[in-house]
Amino acid sequence: MPPSQLKQLKASLRDSGVIGPQQSKKQKRQNARTGVAAQNRNQRNEALQAIRDRFNPFEIKAPKNRSKFDATTRDGSSTTAGGSRPGVTKSLGEERRRATLLKEMNSRHKVGGILDRRFGENDPTMTLEERAAERYARESQKKLRKESMFNLEDDEDDDFHFTHMGQPLTLDGANVDDFDADGLDGQGSDDEGLRKRKRVVEDDGENEDFIDYEEEGEAQPEKKKSKAEVMKEVIAKSKFHKHERQKAKEDDDDLRDELDQELPDLFEALRGMKAPPKKEPAKQDLSGVNPERALLMQEPEKNTEREYDQRLKQLTFDKRSAPTDRTKTAEEKAEEEAERLKKMEENRLKRMRGEKVSDDEEEEEDDKDSFFAGDESEEEDDAVAFGLPTTYQPRADMGVEDEDDFVIDDDLVETRSNVSLSLDGSDMEEEELSDEDDEPDVPEQEDELINGMTLPTSTTSTAVGISESATGKLAFTYPCPSDHEGFLEIIKDVATEDVPTVVQRIRALHHPRIKPGNKDKLGKFSEILVEHVAYMADETEQPSFAVIENLLRHIHSLAKSHAIHVATAFRARFREISNDRPLSLLPGDLVILTGVSTVFPTSDHFHAVSTPAHLCIARYLGQCNVTSLSDLATGTFAASLLVQYQSVSERYMPEFINYVLNALCNLAPAEPAKEIGLFPSRKTEKSFRLASSKKITPRKLQFKDVISSPANPEAEEELKLSLVNTLVSLLGSSSDLWSEKSAFIEIFAPAREVLQHLRQSFKNKAFVAARDTVQSTLDKINTGLAQSHLSRRPLLLHNHRPLAIKSAIPKFEENFNPDKHYDPDRERAEVNRLKKEFKREKKGAMRELRKDASFIAREKLREKKELDAEYEKKYRKLIAEIQSEEGRAANDYEREKRARQGKR
Amino acid sequence: MPAPVELSSSKKRKSSKNGAPSSKRRAVAEDNFTETLSTIQDLETQIAESRKHYNNIVTLISMMKVEDNAKEPELAAAVSLCRVFSRLIAAGNFIESNRAAENEKIIVAWLKERCLEYQRGLMAIIREADTTSQVTALTLAMRLVKERITHIPGAENNIWATLFKDIVEAVVEAQDGQDLQTEFVNKFAKEYEDVRYFTFTHLSEYADVRRSHEIIDSIIAILSACEEVPAADHEFETFFVPRENKSKQLNSASSHKKRAQEAWLAILRNDLSQPQRKSLLRIMVHHIEPWFSRPELLMDFLTDSYNAGGATSLLALSGLFYLIQEKNLDYPQFYSKLYSLLDADLLHSKHRSRFFRLLNTFLASTHLPAALVASFIKRLSRLAINAPPSAIVVIVPFMYNLFKSHPTCTFMMHRTIRDKDLAAEIEEHGMDDPFDAAETDPTRTNAIESSLWEIETLQSHYHPNVASIARIISEQFTKQHYNLEDFLDHTYQGMVQAELGTGERPLKKTPVVEYQIPKRIFTDRMLEEDGGVDSGPASFMRRLWDF
Repeated sequence: MPPSQLKQLKASLRDSGVIGPQQSKKQKRQNARTGVAAQNRNQRNEALQAIRDRFNPFEIKAPKNRSKFDATTRDGSSTTAGGSRPGVTKSLGEERRRATLLKEMNSRHKVGGILDRRFGENDPTMTLEERAAERYARESQKKLRKESMFNLEDDEDDDFHFTHMGQPLTLDGANVDDFDADGLDGQGSDDEGLRKRKRVVEDDGENEDFIDYEEEGEAQPEKKKSKAEVMKEVIAKSKFHKHERQKAKEDDDDLRDELDQELPDLFEALRGMKAPPKKEPAKQDLSGVNPERALLMQEPEKNTEREYDQRLKQLTFDKRSAPTDRTKTAEEKAEEEAERLKKMEENRLKRMRGEKVSDDEEEEEDDKDSFFAGDESEEEDDAVAFGLPTTYQPRADMGVEDEDDFVIDDDLVETRSNVSLSLDGSDMEEEELSDEDDEPDVPEQEDELINGMTLPTSTTSTAVGISESATGKLAFTYPCPSDHEGFLEIIKDVATEDVPTVVQRIRALHHPRIKPGNKDKLGKFSEILVEHVAYMADETEQPSFAVIENLLRHIHSLAKSHAIHVATAFRARFREISNDRPLSLLPGDLVILTGVSTVFPTSDHFHAVSTPAHLCIARYLGQCNVTSLSDLATGTFAASLLVQYQSVSERYMPEFINYVLNALCNLAPAEPAKEIGLFPSRKTEKSFRLASSKKITPRKLQFKDVISSPANPEAEEELKLSLVNTLVSLLGSSSDLWSEKSAFIEIFAPAREVLQHLRQSFKNKAFVAARDTVQSTLDKINTGLAQSHLSRRPLLLHNHRPLAIKSAIPKFEENFNPDKHYDPDRERAEVNRLKKEFKREKKGAMRELRKDASFIAREKLREKKELDAEYEKKYRKLIAEIQSEEGRAANDYEREKRARQGKR
Repeated sequence: MPAPVELSSSKKRKSSKNGAPSSKRRAVAEDNFTETLSTIQDLETQIAESRKHYNNIVTLISMMKVEDNAKEPELAAAVSLCRVFSRLIAAGNFIESNRAAENEKIIVAWLKERCLEYQRGLMAIIREADTTSQVTALTLAMRLVKERITHIPGAENNIWATLFKDIVEAVVEAQDGQDLQTEFVNKFAKEYEDVRYFTFTHLSEYADVRRSHEIIDSIIAILSACEEVPAADHEFETFFVPRENKSKQLNSASSHKKRAQEAWLAILRNDLSQPQRKSLLRIMVHHIEPWFSRPELLMDFLTDSYNAGGATSLLALSGLFYLIQEKNLDYPQFYSKLYSLLDADLLHSKHRSRFFRLLNTFLASTHLPAALVASFIKRLSRLAINAPPSAIVVIVPFMYNLFKSHPTCTFMMHRTIRDKDLAAEIEEHGMDDPFDAAETDPTRTNAIESSLWEIETLQSHYHPNVASIARIISEQFTKQHYNLEDFLDHTYQGMVQAELGTGERPLKKTPVVEYQIPKRIFTDRMLEEDGGVDSGPASFMRRLWDF
């Protein structure tokens, strides 16, 4: 059985040395001197605390989930801490509430009151002396910290001096300001009133503080540090500060002097001219004048100085003016232009290779990602990854959206070519037009470039004459049409030749700079123009190509500012083609397709307009049915367009080869004896074979061949031979284009056979004129084939670095700590952390609120009890009073009665 | 017991009065029409009233106007005759009893004769008249079949063999009979199992003889419309004529299938035109083969078709494959034949995706010799050089899958020559393609020694998507397998639509515009300024064309 509590306590006290044998007096004194006593006292306090803890086990709360075995957990820190002390925390919380909440509670429904803002008043950690010292230090600092250099009054305000034995405490004259000393003595007494007022406004609070300090200081004479010590400290401090301040002031003065000297130069630099030497300002002799007046005179000077300061500051922040660019010489300009063109060409080549032309890399990456998005998710349609539409949902067009992100460069705008747009040489309008296109980025001197150039009006041969004769009838203002009907209405009475002029005037009148809404209007107008070009080619029997060309050039120039509108119009046309007449192109379609080849870069790997244009032509060539000679002419036109499209990028087009070879086989005078090559042969229903006995010569094909077939058989034969001629030369051009292709042999071997067959069948004298072309093309293809044979090598496509085998090692974390979160996803980890924090905070806040509520309830109860008790007390007192009065009255009565009885 | 029948038929009469004649009313002049209608009505009621008016039947038959040609029959008379005969049959007037009097027998014989006459008239209408009359006559004839079988005991087999046979033949031979045939199929043959059974029977007999292409067309239409093949444990319940004693024949699935098989075989044996053959091949797997309890009977037809070449071969392939797979058919030189199908027109034909689906199955085996697979790959790549984009899009992933399963073939994409002499020779003289395109045996084409220059060329195809697909063969082969189905059914239209979208949608990004506005597009304007030399964009067109 353990000994009793009392015995235990005694034992532990003895063990820790709190109680022990009495020390002798001598020993005590010695201890006190050496400071051992104080140390001992501290030790004793600690020991006592420990013993108290040990004997009150309920003070300490054991940790909730104590680990069973120390070895199993790494963070032993929490267990060794020995749990929390709920009692202590509780009482702490209670105390804090009493300090804050209770006060608030008590001051509820109360208005006004005095806020104690004295320094350190509410800081319980400071002793009174400390408070006093700190206040004094602040006060003196405040005085030293001069807000304004020029606030002269501040300095001499010495309302308050420490005195010692009635003598002011001077610190070796250090507190006498130099500034005060040299100019303004004697004024102090005069402007005291003014100064006082100012001070009161400036620092109320500080004064209060100070006054308070004084009172407190007097009220508490008992201190640990002696007053002398404190004062010494304060003085030392203030001395130090003063010294520093002085030093800074001197520096400032130096700087100011320097600046003063430099000021004239500065002004000079500012004005850009030499200022006349400044008159020496009249020395103000203030000694003789009335001090107040002198002050007044001083005032403006102060102002100027302030102003000066401000100016100076502004000047330091002013940007340095950079040297202006000098005007460029003609060569430099040409060089720049060449540079620009080179850059454009580079961009084009980039686009051709399918790379992205963009300045910032991020965008590029983005696009890459989205383009290959299909690769990542396996369950997606494989074909979609290549931009092909899903078969069940033909609308999906990922490819389009991903790829057509070519940003139009502002410097794409080309002024020079605009100039040549003008047909009728109205210079003013022309300039306006060119102005319009070089929007903000092109600098002003571009205009000079235009002006300097001779306007090519004199050289425009046909249109000029016409327009000159016609312009007289033309109106000068036209509304901007909003649809094609509107435009047709406008040009109803206008000769075809004048349409370009009208277009030009509309463009000039609705210049985007004139009105903000004009940009949209012109965009719409450009769409109408595209429509109109096709309309012109479709409707008119013999379209005027000079006009169409001019309109196309207008479209081109509009496309630079309204690319989207123009592209949309073109695309709408293609959509119409593919929906309504994929296999029978109208003349208008051909003109539009030709327009595409000039307005848009057809060499791009992907282009929102060129790619559909390619597809439209290829589809026509691949699937069309030849029923008339004009069909063949259309096909030939389309084929030549394809060659033109690919003249830069040299891409391979199977449909082209198929069509040309097929057409040649169908046009040849005799049917080839056997199947040639692997292209699918399509016999026409009607025979279009050359069958002429007369000698005919091929001519250059004309656009009207596309529109109508010739009437008489002779012209028909001529057209056939011309078609053969053109097709053969197309073969020649294409063999040039594709000479580098590795499958050149496979592509052109059938072509050679077809040509040989043609040569055979052209033995007839009638076709002697076409024989040369066939022969030369055949030679060209033969050399190409030989070349290709020589350069043929087995393919080496897979020179890739071998792929690393996918690693399957699990990710192993060294020093794994279960309390730590190893989330590889940064964002998620962050979110989780925040969530956890939020939860914890919320819990804590709720707990606090609950405790607050219970505290308030408790307080209220207490108050009520107090009130009740008070009431009870009062009540009792009153009762007692009444009773005593009653008793006394009764006694009186008794007495009286007895007295009367006695009398009686 | 005539009374209840009378009642029911009078009900029918009412309904038919409301239905059939009203639709006819517009055709004939109003008053004339009502007059004939009332006469017919009178005649009919008279017949119903008494025997002595039986001669009215003859009048009615003559009123049908079908003697010389049945172009414009009087349908009202036909309908009323049908009612008359139904009533008489139901009343038992067609049954000869031995005990009956002589004159009774004469009347029955006479009535039977009239009935036959009436049936002939109906057949004539079915054969020759316009569609609505045809359909009405068909309905009447079928009604007659039903009445006779239900009310005359023991007449069933006889009726099916005579009257119904006539009907089937008439339906098949009918002029402009598409609607009639669909009506027949939908209302009767598909609906009632006995009708279908006997239709098959009669059709197989009918098609045994050589018939014209049109008739065979209609027979094929009827036969292929009967799609539902009864399962072995099928319960036959829906009969046109309700019967008590279930005949064994009509209730077994196998006998149904046998009839159908006979009918189909008769068709296949007949003289078929090329389109008919193709359409038969097209429905072979799904519509014809299920009817066959012995599909090997199709073998001759299929092999013949397969050997025919062209599109017919392509179509025969699936049927043949079915036989090879299910019936263990051994087809010698199957792969050579398959290889020969890869001709210039294949990639342009509309059966392209169908063929590729099958080809994918045929070449799926990893046990095929690499030389053979290489031949197919090389052949396809040769074809691809002249193919439309939609075909290239199939070919390249297909090749990729083949390369994945036959790694030996990957030499066609990457071949380093180790032999120094050979390398020097190639360096000096270039090389020929080792592939022999003329060789018909796919194991001997030497394709595995060749390279796929064609696909490499297609990497610069004008269509960006096609080009990027062609590029997969020169990239790392990291993907396990391309799902061929995703690439199969693309068309020009689909591709254009993918580029353009179906409706007006704003472009997301501004398209690039050519930076230089050309001086000339069509004309020779300002040519002097350039020193008369026409160059720059669009000069190519100007050189070839005059505008």
